[in-house]
Amino acid sequence: MSDEMKKLNENDASSEAQMTSEGEAVAAENDVIAAIARRQRVKKVFAQIGLYTFLTVMAVIVIFPFYWMLISSFKTQPEYNAYTPTLWPRQFLWQNYKGLFVDVHENGIVIEGVADQLNLGTLFLNTVLVGVVSTILSLIVTVLSAYAFARLEFKGKNVLFALMLATMMIPGELFTITNYVTVGATGLGWVSHSAAEQVTTGESFRAFLALVIPFLVSVFYIYLLRQNFMQIPNELYLAAKVDGTSDLKYLWKVMIPLSAPTLISITILKMMGAWNSYVWPNLVAGEAFKLVTVGLRGAAFKTNELINYPLQMAAVVLVTLPLLIIFIFFRKYIMRGVSRSGIKG
Amino acid sequence: MNKKKNQWKAWLYLLPALVVLGIFTVWPIINTIRMGFLEGYNSAGERLGQPFSFGFANFSNVVGYREFTTCLGNTLLLTVVTVPISTMLALLIAVALNSIKPLKKLFQTIFFLPYVTNSIAIGMVFMAMFSMIGVVPGRDPDSIGIINTIIEAFGGSHIDWVNQTSSWGANFFVLVVFIVWNALPFKILVLLGGLQNVDKQYYDAAKVDGASRWRIFWRVTVPLLSPMIAYVVITGFIGGFKEYNSIVGIFGDTMGPNTQPGKWNTMVGYIIQNVSGFQGRASAAAIILFAIIFAVTLVNLYVSKKKVHY
Amino acid sequence: MKVVLQHLTKIFPSRNKKDKNAEVVAVNDFNLEIPDGKLIGLLGPSGCGKSTTLYMISGLQAPSNGKIFFGDDDVTALAPENRGIGLVFQNYALYPHMTVQQNILFPLQNLKGENRLSKEEMLTRAYEVAKLVQIDEYMDRKPSELSGGQQQRVAIARALVKMPRVLLLDEPLSNLDARLRLQTREEIRRIQRDTQITTIFVTHDQEEAMSISDFIVVMKLGVIMQTGKPQWVYDDPANLFVAKFLGTPPINVFTGSVRGGVLYIGEEEVLSVPGVEDQDVYIGIRPEGFVLDENGGLTCAISGIDVMGRDVSVVSTNAASLNSVVRSIISADEMGKISGETVKFRLKPHKVFLFNRESEQRVYFGDQMAAHEAMVAQMAEEGQNYVTHEGPLPREADDAAKEEVSVPVKKGILAKIKGIFKRSKDEKPEIAEEIPEAAEETPESVEEPHAEEPVKEEGTPEGETTDQEG
Repeated sequence: MSDEMKKLNENDASSEAQMTSEGEAVAAENDVIAAIARRQRVKKVFAQIGLYTFLTVMAVIVIFPFYWMLISSFKTQPEYNAYTPTLWPRQFLWQNYKGLFVDVHENGIVIEGVADQLNLGTLFLNTVLVGVVSTILSLIVTVLSAYAFARLEFKGKNVLFALMLATMMIPGELFTITNYVTVGATGLGWVSHSAAEQVTTGESFRAFLALVIPFLVSVFYIYLLRQNFMQIPNELYLAAKVDGTSDLKYLWKVMIPLSAPTLISITILKMMGAWNSYVWPNLVAGEAFKLVTVGLRGAAFKTNELINYPLQMAAVVLVTLPLLIIFIFFRKYIMRGVSRSGIKG
Repeated sequence: MNKKKNQWKAWLYLLPALVVLGIFTVWPIINTIRMGFLEGYNSAGERLGQPFSFGFANFSNVVGYREFTTCLGNTLLLTVVTVPISTMLALLIAVALNSIKPLKKLFQTIFFLPYVTNSIAIGMVFMAMFSMIGVVPGRDPDSIGIINTIIEAFGGSHIDWVNQTSSWGANFFVLVVFIVWNALPFKILVLLGGLQNVDKQYYDAAKVDGASRWRIFWRVTVPLLSPMIAYVVITGFIGGFKEYNSIVGIFGDTMGPNTQPGKWNTMVGYIIQNVSGFQGRASAAAIILFAIIFAVTLVNLYVSKKKVHY
Repeated sequence: MKVVLQHLTKIFPSRNKKDKNAEVVAVNDFNLEIPDGKLIGLLGPSGCGKSTTLYMISGLQAPSNGKIFFGDDDVTALAPENRGIGLVFQNYALYPHMTVQQNILFPLQNLKGENRLSKEEMLTRAYEVAKLVQIDEYMDRKPSELSGGQQQRVAIARALVKMPRVLLLDEPLSNLDARLRLQTREEIRRIQRDTQITTIFVTHDQEEAMSISDFIVVMKLGVIMQTGKPQWVYDDPANLFVAKFLGTPPINVFTGSVRGGVLYIGEEEVLSVPGVEDQDVYIGIRPEGFVLDENGGLTCAISGIDVMGRDVSVVSTNAASLNSVVRSIISADEMGKISGETVKFRLKPHKVFLFNRESEQRVYFGDQMAAHEAMVAQMAEEGQNYVTHEGPLPREADDAAKEEVSVPVKKGILAKIKGIFKRSKDEKPEIAEEIPEAAEETPESVEEPHAEEPVKEEGTPEGETTDQEG
């Protein structure tokens, strides 16, 4: 090996000597190098072009549904239904958005609009109510449990924590079946599954309970917050004890501010969860307490027997917009929560 | 010193969580198993005092039902097809994103957008894009929809993707596109995070070693990223087996084109359909779903242990 | 392969968007001819631009200005893989998922066209190199199963397997423990001798550089301070920086002056320095330059004696010393001469170096000039160019300002906690104040991370080679 290398170097040296004696050879060699350098540059430029082309194509595919949703919501139904659709509305019209809130009647029959049927305002209100209440309650429960697991000593702590983590393995659908029975008339009586079980008084409040309570505790959030709490140095806790600070005050004044990013992540994911939830509210709450996704999917956006897509798209825009706004303001927190959880909402 | 006091304090702090978990998580686990193994169980019947005997009838019945096997087949097929496609695409996008500088933030934001949307709402947009309007057999539709227009612009001919006369293949294509579209952001986010943690020196070394971009991708990036890829694949499989919302988004509660309800029903869809009347059946299906997810996760972990480096 | 660097310059753009002028000149007009088949040590404190220089030679970073020649080939525009170099990284950068054999084979498998070897040839080659660096028995192991020294050898083998024209090593020994370091540096020396490949290595450890290099290049703030054979540079430093940077224990520096051909430290006459004009000077005295002599001119107060076996180190103090203590090394036999609280030294003229107080450049006296000229002449004969820095030395004057810019403002309690640590660190320099200048530039202070920050960090996020990085 080493001999070979030596030889190689000698060869180099000798050929070098020859070349320096012949200026032309050097020039020729430098031409070769220039050619290699040129090829490198071309390759690099092509690679860059390729990368950006690929990313742009993918970005267009990703963004196209949003674009289509938005421009369609401003079109008239005839324009949308034309054999050749337009990529830009001939005229931006707000009439579809108006149609979501005000119906046009003729002879007592709705001929345009879905206001009565969709009741978007109530849907929004219901959803925000469920989101806010369940988020607040969930934060309280999560903080208390995480604190107990992170800072307090008690018998069976580790076993309990491990058991709780183990439940994360089980798909949520498995719980749905029993919970459906539990919140029904035979159980807690929050919702009526059939006319025979009709609960009359405070129907919406009971349905509201059924939407909020069962998903109040997320083992994953407890886990996340516990990890966060554990990173706070114990010295701070001991210092607070010396100063005579109570546990709750310490929790409120020190641990919560220090874990604010995680708490914000939890809040946003929980709110998004309420906004996007479909299966459970559709199953148990029905008409008594309709949430936005259920209402949106259930409404028939029909005008003249045809689906009124522009009207539908306007509704979809209004449902999608709050999420995008939250995303713009809390991008960092959403991404942080997401990359650690792998769950949506 | 005041250990006793702390004991009950800890339990007090945990009380709300334990109560809710006890009722809505622990009890369902027990009860679902109970219902699954009580033959022909339904809660209404139990209330009326109807006796149920212990046995495997729910499981054997469920597996025998045509609708269930359709659901199982749909779920498996959609998962097996979409997970590799979305993982590969996400990997390519993440690597591309990681090797550019200008516009990187903009692209990153765009690719994350599908994550923060309501998948049922956006499913309705996909439906609108693929949908034809005014389809009557034997007559040209009023509108062929934007996707078909684009196809015709490139010289193809329009297809009924999602309407009354749509074929199985056309539906499948639309679902795959939508599910992949929906699954990309999370995967890109995780993989990009992983890439940013890869020591830059490996790439410098590979450059000095004269490896081409393609070889760097396969021989350096993919192996170094394998733990993240494994994570993304496992969560992708778990998510895939629980597929439901995407189909509701596209087709609505009918879980298929209007004329062919239930055509694209999934495991979760099957469970939900049976929740109100046939809890025994639903429980059996849920237990089967859990078993499949559990098994696939184990297989994935085993494979990744062999394939994932360090 | 001879390597020639012409006017090589690297400027990293400003990291701070508001202050466009905060750019960092990592390497400044670097000119050097590295002879064929030699082992060259690029030596200097962290942040002196030595690694940047190495990366520019490798092609991983593009110079802002200047040219690089391998032999007669201008390779400035070539990508690393077209230069025929091998590079060993500080952390080795062995692919963790590949076995030793796969790591070594990797560069060969990338070859294309006529250069492509058959499978058998590749294996043969890999085994030959593995044998050369003595890791052929570990071919099936993963890097994580090897010791640091073994990983180092694998990295060298991977760099050598393509038979590079130039081998580059970035701080090759810094991740090894002291014992392995000694062993490995001999190993590197042997491998270089065996292969005769022109080898350039970067280090901040002057002992390491001096012990194995044919030739060292001392750098400061991107500028060459001096080049030459290690012993020569040690014996004939061109300026105060080089004198202080080389040698363990470090050189003793005093303030003093020359009046009428006599050197004064404080008010004491210590040496006759014929041929030197009257001026204020810094005086550098190697520890071995002191001789115990009751009639000696330099008086120091003894503060301790370290017995090191054959030699004895006398630790003493002197008001004019810029170091906190004066370290002198004398033979153990002479220890008997020490008594009382003070000690008197005579100085060996060839171990005493004078430097102008303003420019910090060397002032020769007596026969030092003749010795210097003889050395330069011999270098020229051996085909090596002698480079020193002319004019005033570059100073880290605006370092404090730069650092302020580079520390990001952090909010929250955790930042406050960090702030406390930072403050306590900042308080430390109080000690250094006693020896204002020395603390700034002696090799010890160089290890402080802050000196490294401006250049190294700039290099990562903003450099040319960062397309893989986020």
